[in-house]
Amino acid sequence: MKRLLSIEYKKIRTYKVFWILAGLYFVFLAAGVLLAEFMINHMVNDINSRLPIPFPHVALYYFPDVWQNVAFFASIRYVLIFPAIILIILITNEFTFKTIRQNIINGMSKTEFLVSKLMIILLMALVTTVILAAGAFFIGLVHSGFSEVTFFSRGLPFMTGFFLSLLCYLVYAFFCGFMLRNTGMAIAIFTLYSLIIEPVIYFLFRAPFMFKNIIYTYLPVNSVIRLTEYPAIPMLKKLMGLELQASVSFTACLIPLGYAAIMIGIVFWVMKKKDL
Amino acid sequence: METILSVENISKSFGKIKAVNQLSFEVGKGHVFGILGPNGSGKTTTLSMLLGLIPPDHGVFRWFGQPPSNESRKRIGSVIESPNFFPYLDAVTNLKIVADTKNKPYDDIDEVLMLAGLHERRFSKFRTFSFGMRQRLALASALLGKPEVMILDEPTNGLDPQGIAQIRELISLVASRGTTILLASHLLDEVQKICNHVLVLQKGVMLFCGQVQEVLSVSDSIEMAAADMSGLTEAIKEIPGYTSFTETGGIIQVHFTTVVNPSDINAFLHQKGIILSHLSEKKRSLEQHFLELLHENP
Repeated sequence: MKRLLSIEYKKIRTYKVFWILAGLYFVFLAAGVLLAEFMINHMVNDINSRLPIPFPHVALYYFPDVWQNVAFFASIRYVLIFPAIILIILITNEFTFKTIRQNIINGMSKTEFLVSKLMIILLMALVTTVILAAGAFFIGLVHSGFSEVTFFSRGLPFMTGFFLSLLCYLVYAFFCGFMLRNTGMAIAIFTLYSLIIEPVIYFLFRAPFMFKNIIYTYLPVNSVIRLTEYPAIPMLKKLMGLELQASVSFTACLIPLGYAAIMIGIVFWVMKKKDL
Repeated sequence: METILSVENISKSFGKIKAVNQLSFEVGKGHVFGILGPNGSGKTTTLSMLLGLIPPDHGVFRWFGQPPSNESRKRIGSVIESPNFFPYLDAVTNLKIVADTKNKPYDDIDEVLMLAGLHERRFSKFRTFSFGMRQRLALASALLGKPEVMILDEPTNGLDPQGIAQIRELISLVASRGTTILLASHLLDEVQKICNHVLVLQKGVMLFCGQVQEVLSVSDSIEMAAADMSGLTEAIKEIPGYTSFTETGGIIQVHFTTVVNPSDINAFLHQKGIILSHLSEKKRSLEQHFLELLHENP
């Protein structure tokens, strides 16, 4: 295990592309989370200019709602796709540079190779979640103050939810990288599916309800993103007569975890069979 | 003889093309074993199967008397086709990754870089290396951890004469330390210079397997006889390029490393006062066969 991690670390340590993209990801992540309130209130102002009774402004960054809101905005597909693309590059590089062949020739097993990439996924998800949780805590503290700090009631379930979202989404990227083996191809198809094909499928088969939708729950990328269903805006929810999502549902987690397990299985099977 | 590698009837097809067909051979400890054949004759496919990159359709092989495994591959240093390294990492980091993969310490990284003549450039990124340097780094990585066997696939392909000489020198050095070497090449001259055993491959089928000097010496051998046989056997040793002779039924067959002209020999021996009663040139059938084969498949 230590040996595999040490190998992966050497591959990444001086790889500029990785660090630049990782830096950009955290900039986008912070921007996405911090600008959300401003954007929503901008829309509220816009609507209010045409309404006799104005909607109240939203406040996203107070304890305990901040945990859910940060988890929600961190898992929108435009932000979540960043670490997935980084992972695809790391995986397809091994095919482009033929270093996967060299690793096998030098006595690494195919299983060891795949496990080392899965460890990278686990680390990426873990590190991102820890940074996000620290950020959410800090934002909450700035807005609410020490006396209102909460973590276990809402923070733990929603941060765990975000961790599982990112973990499963990265496994999809892992699948895409090992199946297609070509950087450009894998990024194009992964982006196309995540950002365009799946939303189109959703709109085509949309059930005639406003908020609950069966398709929503079962598409791979949507099932990942919707672990945190909506941002927590208590006032808006009250106005619309909806219930707040209290926690991440365990059954909802099973769907992306199921997809991820199947994809890992397929990758292991194909890599055993196919020539390198 | 201790057997390092034994191959039994391995075959591999790509679609309708039989890349390797029923190939069997053995490589003994300390041999410098050449696989000779034109481009597309199945050399790389054979080596790829032996290194676990491509599963064979049929047949089995054993490394060190064991079924192939990750552990057996850790005892082998290989250069297959192109040198495969991370372009954005320097030579030392690339070699450290190789050492980690093989579970070997970093101690001899400096030594192999020195051997490959890359020590001064050890902190340069692989991307900045010339073609010859890349090939030498590949050789350096194959030398890491003192492997018992080295597998080299066209190690001098695309190099300039100086680069070729450097690589061959390095291979000879490694071979002289007793490392078993398996070398694939389409160059008759290369195999002849480096190897002591050879397997000739054409379209995936084995044409010949045996010792190099038996079959592939470029020189013609020449049969001679004289009334004064002892004088003759002494005199021929002074002919430039002489290697050995065998005597059968009053006629000696003399081998040379260079191409010799029978009339030159006749003149030379005449000067020494030896009158030949028999002089005839012997062509090596396999060499001719191989040259024809190369000619058919340019």
